[in-house]
Amino acid sequence: MSMERFREFVDASFFDLERRLNGAGSGPWHQLRRAGHQAFLTQGVPTTRHEEWKYTNVLPLLGLTYQTASAGSSGVAPLNLAAIHSLDTYRSAMGSDEVFLCLIDGQYLPSLSTEHHQIQGLSVEPLTDQLVANDNDVRTALASAAASEGHPFVALNTALASHGVVIRIARGATIERPIHVAMITDARSSDRLQTPRVLVLAEESAAATIVESYHTVGSNGSLIIPVTEIVAHRQANVRRVTIHDDVDHARLIGYTGARVHGDAQVSSHVFCLGGGFVRNDLAIALLEPNAQGFLDGVSVLAGEEYADNHTVVDHTVPHCHSEELYKGVYDGRSVGVFNGKIYVRPQAQKTTAYQSNHSLLISERAQVNAKPQLEIWADDVKCSHGATTGQLDEEAVFYLQARGIGKAEARALMTYAFAAEVVERLPHEGLRTAIEHRIARKLHAEPFTV
Amino acid sequence: MSLLKINGLKAGVEGKEILKGIDLTVNPGEVHAIMGPNGSGKSTLASVLAGREDFEVSGGSVEFLGQDLLEMSPEDRSRAGLFLAFQYPIEIPGVSTANFLKTAVNEHRKARGEEPLEPAAFLALMRERMKLVEMDPSFLQRSLNEGFSGGEKKRNEIFQMAMLEPKLAVLDETDSGLDIDALRIVANGVNAQRSADNGIVVITHYQRLLNYIVPDHVHVLWNGRIVRSGGKDLALELEAKGYDWIKAEAQVEA
Ligand SMILES: Nc1ncnc2c1ncn2[C@@H]1O[C@H](COP(=O)(O)OP(=O)(O)O)[C@@H](O)[C@H]1O
Ligand SMILES: [Mg+2]
Repeated sequence: MSMERFREFVDASFFDLERRLNGAGSGPWHQLRRAGHQAFLTQGVPTTRHEEWKYTNVLPLLGLTYQTASAGSSGVAPLNLAAIHSLDTYRSAMGSDEVFLCLIDGQYLPSLSTEHHQIQGLSVEPLTDQLVANDNDVRTALASAAASEGHPFVALNTALASHGVVIRIARGATIERPIHVAMITDARSSDRLQTPRVLVLAEESAAATIVESYHTVGSNGSLIIPVTEIVAHRQANVRRVTIHDDVDHARLIGYTGARVHGDAQVSSHVFCLGGGFVRNDLAIALLEPNAQGFLDGVSVLAGEEYADNHTVVDHTVPHCHSEELYKGVYDGRSVGVFNGKIYVRPQAQKTTAYQSNHSLLISERAQVNAKPQLEIWADDVKCSHGATTGQLDEEAVFYLQARGIGKAEARALMTYAFAAEVVERLPHEGLRTAIEHRIARKLHAEPFTV
Repeated sequence: MSLLKINGLKAGVEGKEILKGIDLTVNPGEVHAIMGPNGSGKSTLASVLAGREDFEVSGGSVEFLGQDLLEMSPEDRSRAGLFLAFQYPIEIPGVSTANFLKTAVNEHRKARGEEPLEPAAFLALMRERMKLVEMDPSFLQRSLNEGFSGGEKKRNEIFQMAMLEPKLAVLDETDSGLDIDALRIVANGVNAQRSADNGIVVITHYQRLLNYIVPDHVHVLWNGRIVRSGGKDLALELEAKGYDWIKAEAQVEA
């Protein structure tokens, strides 16, 4: 029943948006929205009978009475960004380095963002129907790395997104400062659903780090369905950091698609450290020789938290490389899911693709479902995967105890070390330290670096 | 007061009795060697002293500095001054030797009511004590025992001993797997820590180590019992004759 109502809500929101478009209805972005709407109706809301959504029961998320962002939040006091604890934490961690891009309910708000115009090689624009109509690069890139046909929530985002941001790094430019896209959901006056859209275009030999974080304000329900597309042209280097550290009642179903051209690389770091429900899809397509994908992720969950990471690395041509490490620490009644697909197409000889996934269950009631899925059609390749799920090594705990370290502390120390292996790979020191401290606090451990 | 006083200690695992009544007293300044064939219960004795939970104590008592050792948690035993050098040191990925030792040393200090050491003082102390076993400072940043060779692990145990300055150290086959040079280095590291106040129990299979760490008392453990005790000459006798005569004698006596 709630599924039916949700579909009606999507329909109503879509047609409402279409009515308000005033002439842009025939433009290229809206053509994509129409296709997204159709694709959503065709696919429907996935149930746990659907292989890709086996452990991810989204139905409880859909039962609320959502309003879309476009309905506006008139009459509500402006948001006080400094009062959003997790936002403030990670912003402080980046300090004066940060190029802050504030998206509230999907809308990029330059007035609340860093003045970036003097930063050489960086361009940030609101994603609008007009921009999509007039800018060839944007039009070509939009929906190129996230297809509505393959994913019901990409379809939903595509159908309903009317705002977003385009981040462009000019040819040859290296942006040293992390570009922080903060997606804020204003759920103070009603249950809120938002569908932000981010496009990252790294031109030839461009380099940048994009940090995305999600924050819910207010005690009503929130469901954020963000889609980020990254296009890394030849020799570009894009690092993407995703921080999930939202409030307990926040829910997110996100999709990131990356297209990686020759000699370019995309590195992703996904941190699931808080929030009620997180489903993350990350798809990296290696399109030309010597393209590289690096996928790191760590989930540290407690209480009733849920985090589901689905990744796809698609080796479509010879001589590409991918490396993936996902780890999870699960306490309380938390649930983790990892599904890692690697496709090596028949022509993709000389592929090297490595995946590992390790989970630590620190409570008997926590659960993890992990599934590596390697589909290899080429023969001259080096591919491997390793997956483990287990408890702490009690021999090691005893060893630490025998040196005077208390049992609880010994366990926390080892658990922290387990998770820290992934965090260490994050180059930005301030951010890395903040995440290490966050994890340590969650595990009641002392943070330290190896 | 004696450091360690073991009386009629019986212990086993899953209903199987491994230690069948051990008596042993170690006084300050003494070095005791416990020898015996494989499987006789030497490591079990060391584990029970350190507080490993896998073993159930079914009889007897152990006093350590006048306290009931068996009532104490493994970490409290360590903080009270008991040290076990493991026969098989554990690899702990992600925890660097330096951070591990900092945590351990500061726990010991806290138990004595002392402030944590300043990082610089701590680093200086580590560098000094590593020299005792000729360990390279680069080991400090490596994950504890991970990828260390057998000999490096054993040296690391003695380095840890030097950092924690125990009152009683039990060294479980610290000589096994060492070549002659490494053996000498480890033995020198141990000897440097001998004093009139502390005691050392050296568990070994071979007499070789005892050429370097010369014991005051030698005990032969067989089948869960100390079947013979003597001076350092007993070790030489064992070396010459093997363990069979002891076994035969013990069987006759039993
Ligand atoms: N955890 C255990 N579970 C079952 N049997 C054990 C365990 N530990 C030791 N034993 C048994 O107890 C006996 C003594 O072992 P151990 O103390 O390791 O001897 P040693 O160190 O003298 O070689 C052996 O027969 C061994 O198999
Ligand atoms: Mg042994």
